[in-house]
Amino acid sequence: MIANDVAKSWILLNNEIMVKQDDEFSLHKDKEAVRAYFLEYVNKNTVFFYTLKEKIDYLIENDYYINFYEWYTFEEMEEVYNYIYAKKFRFQSFMSAFKFFQSYALRDDSGKNFLERYEDRVVAVALFLARGKGPKKAIEYAETFINQEYQPATPTFLNAGKKRSGELVSCFLDEVGDNLNGIGYAVDSAMKLSSIGGGVAFNISKIRARGEAIKGVDGRAGGVLPIMKIMEDTFSYANQLGQRPGAGAVYLNIFHADIEEFLDCKKINVDEKIRIKSLSIGIIIPDKFMELAEKDEVCYLIYPHTVMTEYGKYLDEMDMDEMYAELITNPNIKKKKVNARHLLVRIAQTQKESGYPYIFFKENANRVHPLREVGSVKFSNLCTEIMQVSEVSDINIYGQEDTIRYGISCNLGSLNIATVMDNKRVKEAVKSAMHALTVVSDVTDINMVPSIAKANRELHSVGLGAMNLHGYLAKNFVMYESFEALDFANTFFMMVNYYSLETSMEIAKERNETFKGFDKSEYANGRYFDMYLERDYLPQSDKVKEMFEGIHIPSIEDWQNLKEKVQEHGVYHAYRMAIAPNQSTSYIMNSTASVMPIVDAIEVREYGDSTTYYPMPYLTNDNLFYFKSAYDMDQKKVLKMISVIQRHIDQGVSTILHTDSKNTTRDLAKYYIYAHKLGLKSLYYTRTRKSSIDECVSCSA
Amino acid sequence: MENKVFNAVNWNKPDNDYAQVFWEQNIKQFWIDTEYIPSKDMDSWKGLSYEMKSTYKKALGGLTLLDTLQSHTGMPKIIDHVDSLQNKAVLSYMCMMEAIHAKSYSTIFTTVASTNEINDVFGWVRENKYLQFKARTIDSYYRGVDKPDATDEDLFMALGASVLLESFLFYSGFFLPLWLCGQGQMVASADIIKKIVADESIHGIFVGLIAQDVYKTLDNKEEMKQKFLSVLDELYQNEMKYTEEIYTEVGLTAEVKEYVRYNGNKALMNMGFEPIFEVKQVNPIVLNGLNTETTQHDFFSKKSTNYEKALEIVHLKDEDFKMDMAVEV
Repeated sequence: MIANDVAKSWILLNNEIMVKQDDEFSLHKDKEAVRAYFLEYVNKNTVFFYTLKEKIDYLIENDYYINFYEWYTFEEMEEVYNYIYAKKFRFQSFMSAFKFFQSYALRDDSGKNFLERYEDRVVAVALFLARGKGPKKAIEYAETFINQEYQPATPTFLNAGKKRSGELVSCFLDEVGDNLNGIGYAVDSAMKLSSIGGGVAFNISKIRARGEAIKGVDGRAGGVLPIMKIMEDTFSYANQLGQRPGAGAVYLNIFHADIEEFLDCKKINVDEKIRIKSLSIGIIIPDKFMELAEKDEVCYLIYPHTVMTEYGKYLDEMDMDEMYAELITNPNIKKKKVNARHLLVRIAQTQKESGYPYIFFKENANRVHPLREVGSVKFSNLCTEIMQVSEVSDINIYGQEDTIRYGISCNLGSLNIATVMDNKRVKEAVKSAMHALTVVSDVTDINMVPSIAKANRELHSVGLGAMNLHGYLAKNFVMYESFEALDFANTFFMMVNYYSLETSMEIAKERNETFKGFDKSEYANGRYFDMYLERDYLPQSDKVKEMFEGIHIPSIEDWQNLKEKVQEHGVYHAYRMAIAPNQSTSYIMNSTASVMPIVDAIEVREYGDSTTYYPMPYLTNDNLFYFKSAYDMDQKKVLKMISVIQRHIDQGVSTILHTDSKNTTRDLAKYYIYAHKLGLKSLYYTRTRKSSIDECVSCSA
Repeated sequence: MENKVFNAVNWNKPDNDYAQVFWEQNIKQFWIDTEYIPSKDMDSWKGLSYEMKSTYKKALGGLTLLDTLQSHTGMPKIIDHVDSLQNKAVLSYMCMMEAIHAKSYSTIFTTVASTNEINDVFGWVRENKYLQFKARTIDSYYRGVDKPDATDEDLFMALGASVLLESFLFYSGFFLPLWLCGQGQMVASADIIKKIVADESIHGIFVGLIAQDVYKTLDNKEEMKQKFLSVLDELYQNEMKYTEEIYTEVGLTAEVKEYVRYNGNKALMNMGFEPIFEVKQVNPIVLNGLNTETTQHDFFSKKSTNYEKALEIVHLKDEDFKMDMAVEV
């Protein structure tokens, strides 16, 4: 029968989790789904090898794996495989197993048969990262992976060790210059980076607004929208061999004269020519704008090309606190009047209808920017956690030299908070993670986009993040919104910062090389350490002290020592930490995503290709209480949690607001104000829970 | 000429305790087909068996007919005979959405099927006796109010027919897209279907409430209830045959029948009557797929069905900038 060809028992079992028996979810069905998935699908579709030798040789000879024999003897590899297989890894939920086999496991060229199990992928990644450093180093990496303490981001975990693969880095950012060469370079970069699987973000704030002059003739410029349209089509054209759609974002400064048009592009009923469906959008908000909104003073949107003509500088690069008054009084600067509060509400309205735009609070990011003397952070990326210095390149016509400046390249990975705490291996996992991330930066050279390659070559940026915060708290009977949760995060992320900085210093010492510009950084002048020398970040509550029992927590004295070493040896990475939203990887790790609260005790997950029910890690019908949904939480408490984490993160934290249909535009705008005052650097999506039809009828009755 | 007095709709004075709520809910749910991207299903479509494709097309063809009937005849006739001006307004909004529904099936067709195939489906719709029976039966009750001396009984039956269409007859068609979506097939098209399901669901409830209002005023309640139940039964028998005809080849008949009964009960509840069908276990994949509460999705790979139009714009005040900024650690 036809339906039976499509119907899969494990999907039915997974769906049956939601069937309530005696008012309790059928959680045990999830384990049955995993079992059915392996017995009926995975095992049947896995290529069998008689010996490990046969497997490794087959994979190398048939161009699936790179030639690991360049680095290891067979016996050395065997040692790593044996060590990892002896761990007897089992997937804890259907979602984890399904996601792994669906998206990560190596398949043969027919696409039908698996050539790898989870253990094999872990070993391949570890062998790749350890390179010439021997089996012990490979085991060290592999152990953090199989223990599920550290998870490299998708591009690395998916591609490392494969012969025919995409890049290991996935996150790129660049500026767009205000001329055809600059725009052409950006579109060209977008296509190339998208084709290798990267998410790309562009700052389009330098582009002249609609109706500005071209070659001195007024009224000719098309503004930012046409460029966005080109970008959107470029990203959807250049996907990674059809495997996943290209993804991109554009950021625009809120003072840019096209900002209203920019926000409208996400509206449902807007002209097709200016409607943006799949391109993500973000706005850059300087402090000055929030100040105008607070004081309810008149706000002017500014035409950037008139600024360039008058001052020879980009509007987007000006300090608005300093320049705003001057710009609005200068008659040569074209501007239009808006109400700042209304614009905030307009943003809220757009978010309610589409989830967009992202918000980047520019001064919040720059006030604590360790490279502030090198340059400023102007915008963020597709997931709003990358915050690095960038500068627009000058692209010339053929035959003339271009001036290439910094784009941004970042490779990511996340700690699993629950396992590193339970195994008491915070220090070891952070160190191992930092080394793994460094290898990826070392071996990456995106030379087809020179501004990106230059940034990686000189800055070695990485982004270590974390996942499973809510899962770990719930497992320990701590409510996400509680004082204890803040207390925990404050100490934990201080430690991640400490050990990642220490590792970066050690690498700089070992290689006798720092990132370019270290001398001008806050690390070199020591100001970076002020906050850690003023007070300690030890746990305050008994509950959290108990959670850290048996784990050394760096003291003020430790920080003092680290400061001296950093000043002596330098640090290798210009940027070290960034907390990504990590979705797919958190499923594999059986974790709650990132540092965000969960959305539901049993998450309903829609991907482009499937719907899956995912009971949260450690959930039982008894501890449901601690798995409170983000939609039911006070968003201010969530933002407060992020502000505590943010203190210790040199880049950003991907922060999602969870609202329901009853929240007004005013409620949303108040969250922006609160987030800004708390010092948050960015806000990612706003997710909305719909009021259901039952609710709608029940209030009518 | 008769001296008829015309009234303007006055939203300042509620006609009843539900019109306003449904008006708002309807507007919040507004959407148009072109927001969605069924072209993402091209690969999935190619991977489906011939039989599955054929069933899918028929299911959508059947749905198109019902939405056409509802937007061209059902809603307009009912609007004519409902007293409350506010209810009329809500119904005309729903009528507009029905037209969007009828078009949006074509959006899916147009994307995945060839012109010949599409023409074949519409030909099949014209010739399928069970489908035509459904349409004819419902239409006859709509036409029943199409006379100057239409009684409350006629109106009740027209409203009842509308509820049967919205809450009962659609679901044999909805089953397949929801079921396939749960299996990871035709997922982008299912986004459209889910939007339609969410709309039909409030339409059925709303028209049901009006029907209950009319029912309360009737003198021969029991007689009319029996008449309604016999229409339901007639349509149920037909629906079983329809289901057999389109689903037997793909082997889903039993599950669809169970689902049809489940929704039959829902239609009865919308009319304020007790359920009469015995329902054991509805396929959980389809049931879960109907849950219109918020799901998690990846913004980069698909469009969410969760966002709604912001109805009300509330502005900021001075006090919104004064907040307690204390952080305890």
